[in-house]
Amino acid sequence: MKEIRIPQGMRDLIVEECAKKRFAQKTIERVFQSFGYEEIMTPSIEYFDTYQQGFSEVDATEMYKFFDQDGEILTLREDMTVPICRVCASKYANSKPPFRFFYTSNVFKVRHVFAGKRGEVTDCGVECIGLDEKSDIEILYMAIQVMEKLHFKNYQIEIGNAKLFQSAVDALQLDKADQKRLAALIDQKSIVDLNCFVEALHLSKEAQDFFTQLPFLSGNDVFEKAKQLCFTEEMQAVIDQLVSLYAALQTLGVAEHISFDLGKIPHLDYYTGIIFEGFIEESGTSVLSGGRYDNLMQKFDRELPACGFSMKLDYILDALDNQNKEVVQLYYPKGKEIEAIQKADEIRKNKAVEMIPWNRDAWEVRQ
Amino acid sequence: MSISIALTKGRLEKQAIAMLEACGYGVEQLKDKGRALVFYDTKKDVKYFLAKPNDVITYVEHGIADIGIVGKDTLLEKSGDVYELLDLEVGKCKFILASLKGNNPLEKVGHIKIGTKYPNVASQYFHKKGLEVEIIKIDGSVELGPVLGLSDGIIDIMETGTTLKENGLVVYDTVCDISARAIVNRVSYKLKKDEVLQIINDLKEGKQYVESNQSK
Repeated sequence: MKEIRIPQGMRDLIVEECAKKRFAQKTIERVFQSFGYEEIMTPSIEYFDTYQQGFSEVDATEMYKFFDQDGEILTLREDMTVPICRVCASKYANSKPPFRFFYTSNVFKVRHVFAGKRGEVTDCGVECIGLDEKSDIEILYMAIQVMEKLHFKNYQIEIGNAKLFQSAVDALQLDKADQKRLAALIDQKSIVDLNCFVEALHLSKEAQDFFTQLPFLSGNDVFEKAKQLCFTEEMQAVIDQLVSLYAALQTLGVAEHISFDLGKIPHLDYYTGIIFEGFIEESGTSVLSGGRYDNLMQKFDRELPACGFSMKLDYILDALDNQNKEVVQLYYPKGKEIEAIQKADEIRKNKAVEMIPWNRDAWEVRQ
Repeated sequence: MSISIALTKGRLEKQAIAMLEACGYGVEQLKDKGRALVFYDTKKDVKYFLAKPNDVITYVEHGIADIGIVGKDTLLEKSGDVYELLDLEVGKCKFILASLKGNNPLEKVGHIKIGTKYPNVASQYFHKKGLEVEIIKIDGSVELGPVLGLSDGIIDIMETGTTLKENGLVVYDTVCDISARAIVNRVSYKLKKDEVLQIINDLKEGKQYVESNQSK
């Protein structure tokens, strides 16, 4: 027998799954378009250098890599934000911001073998380039609209802000390696190791308290406690900003599914302001993620603030209802293909129709 | 909302059950297992299942289990994207570097070979020390390595040190301390936060109770 296989981490999607995925894509894109965002498509293959330029610390082991004819390293795109920033910095070099782009593209990541994780997922997202943190509310509001339009049973959008942690470690002048380790321990809520690590840093009491309490600052009533723990004015300002963001969402009547996690600090060298994630019951990982990345565009020689998010379509399929499309079957006598097509065309004006030849000398339409 | 907990089979299982029982959970089914695979708490809306250490992390990472009880040794070797909220302070032991007497691998000049069941832990340890070593993955009786000449030393778990001593091995360095941890799926922590934190707090209480009983 011939060996039949697909590469590690890859999947085929079959009919119902495709229907659900397309439904989700259309629903989300409609939201994006209604906010004035326009579509961008970029190549599946980028130079590895482009990513290295964008992310200061790129995890090369997570990227599919190969060579071109000149020996340059190519990669299957890992995300869409970097390619869009590349386009924005080159094709739109002489255009006036803001730029509002959306995309639906497959992105790739090398996964550990046999971990049950996907190496290819479809990202459906937006990037708003050229507007500062005042526009965070627009992006968040749009993310909520996306979750609402997909009618999830139960969902939550959780917001944090990378600046809180960043201004704390800047004030304490912690070196990069310590910052990174500290951020990882807090983000993973690795409480035991965090306490040991913070102790070993020999910080002031207030700084110690801040870092060890940070993982627990999650929920809706975190701001009072957070303010008590902040030890610089800049940190206070970050909290104030989150408070007014929350108030704005309440005024807009969309705060029901919002919560906060001030200990959310992934990819420290990438996010510069708000960070948010969307969760649904049916998925063990977050399905939507985004945030503000004001330093990325300058790496492509154009200094512009930016914010965006994307939904991972493949992770929400289990939460969507089946999208059954009605198809009628037209049975026709073998040899009458031309008449069958003509007849089917009539039906096709209203419904999808599948033509099935049979050996009987009769015509029949079945629902 | 119902919570499911993955427990590591074996020694940790007994200690975790003792803690749960001490803080008022109905673990009768777990104590009298029979052939069942999934067990229901008789007092709370919780279900349990038993799994191998690596699988506990996998189940929690995928959100099949909301909470998992697993050793830090496994968490260090197979890093998972999970929250690690509590040190249960049971199943205490150490990762150590050991070899034959007079054969400290850290002092060897030349190519160093290290046998271990934990290649990631071992390579991180030597990486931090700035040493380049060859790691050889072994699945059992790691102590044999230095004795038979397969490796210059081993990185392994040590509880009492008896096995090492019996094979003529001495400890040259401690890599880190290990104990059982409570881990939580990231999404469960958001969507079932109250329930999850309740169990974590209960475990904290159970832990103290078990500790005070041990010291009596």
